[in-house]
Amino acid sequence: MTKILFTDKLDSCVERWRSAGMTVIGPVQRANSSVYDAVKSASELDLNLVLTDRSIKELFFPQSEPMLRYAITKAEINTDEFLPPSGPRIIFGARACDASGLAIDDPLFGWDYKDEYWFQRRNESVIVTIACTKADEFCMCTSLKLSPDSTKGSDILLRPLENNKGWQVEELTDRGREAFKSVADLLQEGSDPAAATVTVPEKFNADACAEWLKNPENFESRFWKEISARCIGCGSCTYLCPTCHCFDIQDEGGSFEGIRRKNWDSCSFALFTMHTSGHNPRSTQSARWRQRIMHKFNYFPGKFSANSCSGCGRCTRECPVDMGITETLQEISKLSQ
Amino acid sequence: MSIEQQYRTRAKELLSAGEVKMVIGYGAGTTAERRRPIFITSPDETERLVLDSACIANLSGYLVTEGLLSDEKRVAVFLRPEGIRALNVLAAEAQLDPLQVVIIGFDLPKGELKSLQGSSVDDFTDLLGALKESTPDVDGRELLEKIEKMSPEERFAFWQEEFSKCIKCYACRQACPMCYCRRCIVDSNQPQWVNTSSHTLGNFEWNIVRAFHLSGRCVECGNCDRACPVNIPLRLINRKMAQEVLDSFNHFAGTSKTQEPVLASFKKDDSETFIL
Ligand code: SF4
Ligand code: SF4
Ligand code: SF4
Ligand code: SF4
Repeated sequence: MTKILFTDKLDSCVERWRSAGMTVIGPVQRANSSVYDAVKSASELDLNLVLTDRSIKELFFPQSEPMLRYAITKAEINTDEFLPPSGPRIIFGARACDASGLAIDDPLFGWDYKDEYWFQRRNESVIVTIACTKADEFCMCTSLKLSPDSTKGSDILLRPLENNKGWQVEELTDRGREAFKSVADLLQEGSDPAAATVTVPEKFNADACAEWLKNPENFESRFWKEISARCIGCGSCTYLCPTCHCFDIQDEGGSFEGIRRKNWDSCSFALFTMHTSGHNPRSTQSARWRQRIMHKFNYFPGKFSANSCSGCGRCTRECPVDMGITETLQEISKLSQ
Repeated sequence: MSIEQQYRTRAKELLSAGEVKMVIGYGAGTTAERRRPIFITSPDETERLVLDSACIANLSGYLVTEGLLSDEKRVAVFLRPEGIRALNVLAAEAQLDPLQVVIIGFDLPKGELKSLQGSSVDDFTDLLGALKESTPDVDGRELLEKIEKMSPEERFAFWQEEFSKCIKCYACRQACPMCYCRRCIVDSNQPQWVNTSSHTLGNFEWNIVRAFHLSGRCVECGNCDRACPVNIPLRLINRKMAQEVLDSFNHFAGTSKTQEPVLASFKKDDSETFIL
């Protein structure tokens, strides 16, 4: 017997969580694009998507975040800090790759400086992941040693029932248990079997790629130019990626008064490494693409013992010129054979 | 012989004879429905070229890749009429020498592949002139008409919802052949003319600045619209601006390589007493 949450009880759960003061968030459609956003009832959720267009990271690391207000006068300098919005949240219907992405970034945001914007939200959020029973041709969690039912980064894992009427509930953390305690009477014990998770074929060998990337001889390989010739240098792959975390601090306003903000930034942009002198150490798109791959599959694992990629496939799914990291790593896998 | 095979042969001949150093065309993509830009430099590789109804991207933007045309050599490129118009705008704006570009022309009326005769921009003058007189076939016409009928408040609310989704990834700009500025105004930070934050106001600023800068220059190829990862219907803005420019100045972007840029030229007998 396992605990089961039946679909027809979900709305009552949402109501229960909301009345307990939690913000309920999940995959929804917003003007022709899917995103994780707050909902008032279960009917707003779109739980049939393979994956939302936009990743879960923006709930923790928004595209633009105010940090402080400054006002400078002859007499004094005044600053007011903005704190991240506070309050408990439950994210219902995350995917394993998105939840894993958050766990991948935790050490990064807590490394030399503890990013309170990230961690306050992390500590106040319960992540309820639904195991995937379908995937598309871009999904590749298994190539990153994850799976459609990875528990990494999740507080609760739900396994869809074979009869499609609900989910088996696996409580993974205290935070998850706590959130589900409040809906305990809405769950049922049952023996309904869970549907099989989807089979996601492995697309490349991440270990072999890491070895190839670590070899300094390959840094100047012609490969980088060839594989990235069509890249137009936009920020789409970075901004949709659940693990990409680069930001830029910008003062918005005038010299004497304004708001300092933390805005997303991307290594795909030429401006990212442009020096004040005008010199750009990554002056070509191929150097920028190499950086993207090196960072995710060489430097980041070197420092944090995990690839900076959870295999969600968004970078390939949405690339305007049909690039993305998959093909690059497939080619590297071949080169390293 | 299929059009695809004819064009592969043509590409091969151009490369073998040394007439062009590169052919920019389409190749197979990650999925069966996808095509991707490919760059062929050897006659042996021309079999990789694909041409069918999925080849919709406008490839002309790659022509202004830094350094590509800085030698005297020529490059061949697969272009639809919108792409040829884009080439004309680039030439008119002195971004490239059209004599360095060999056009491999095709069109997709109602999804049917059709070859276009000619190889130099001037060969297509009549075709482009006729396009100016025709009614453009835009996806979303109904929505456009609906927006036209909205009150300013409703229209503002519509675009507010759309632009609030923008993440300032600049995929629209990067995909656009007309967005060739070495340093875009939004990347100019001394001073910072346009703030970089992607909040709704910032997103409005970005999309409006871009719409104005593309007015009279946009050829409605749809690259930006397809590139947008959050599906903002940029084609509606492009259509509206193109229609305004046509109605006000009788200007249709990209009909010839010497066409005067509509918003960057001034005539002494102009009824306006100022220029922007
Ligand atoms: S790989 Fe694609 S999405 Fe990423 S920067 Fe290049 S063109 Fe943009
Ligand atoms: S690199 Fe690509 S596949 Fe990996 S997590 Fe980021 S968007 Fe997903
Ligand atoms: S604005 Fe969009 S439709 Fe117009 S030329 Fe640029 S990419 Fe094409
Ligand atoms: S492509 Fe779309 S999301 Fe990206 S900057 Fe342009 S309008 Fe915004």
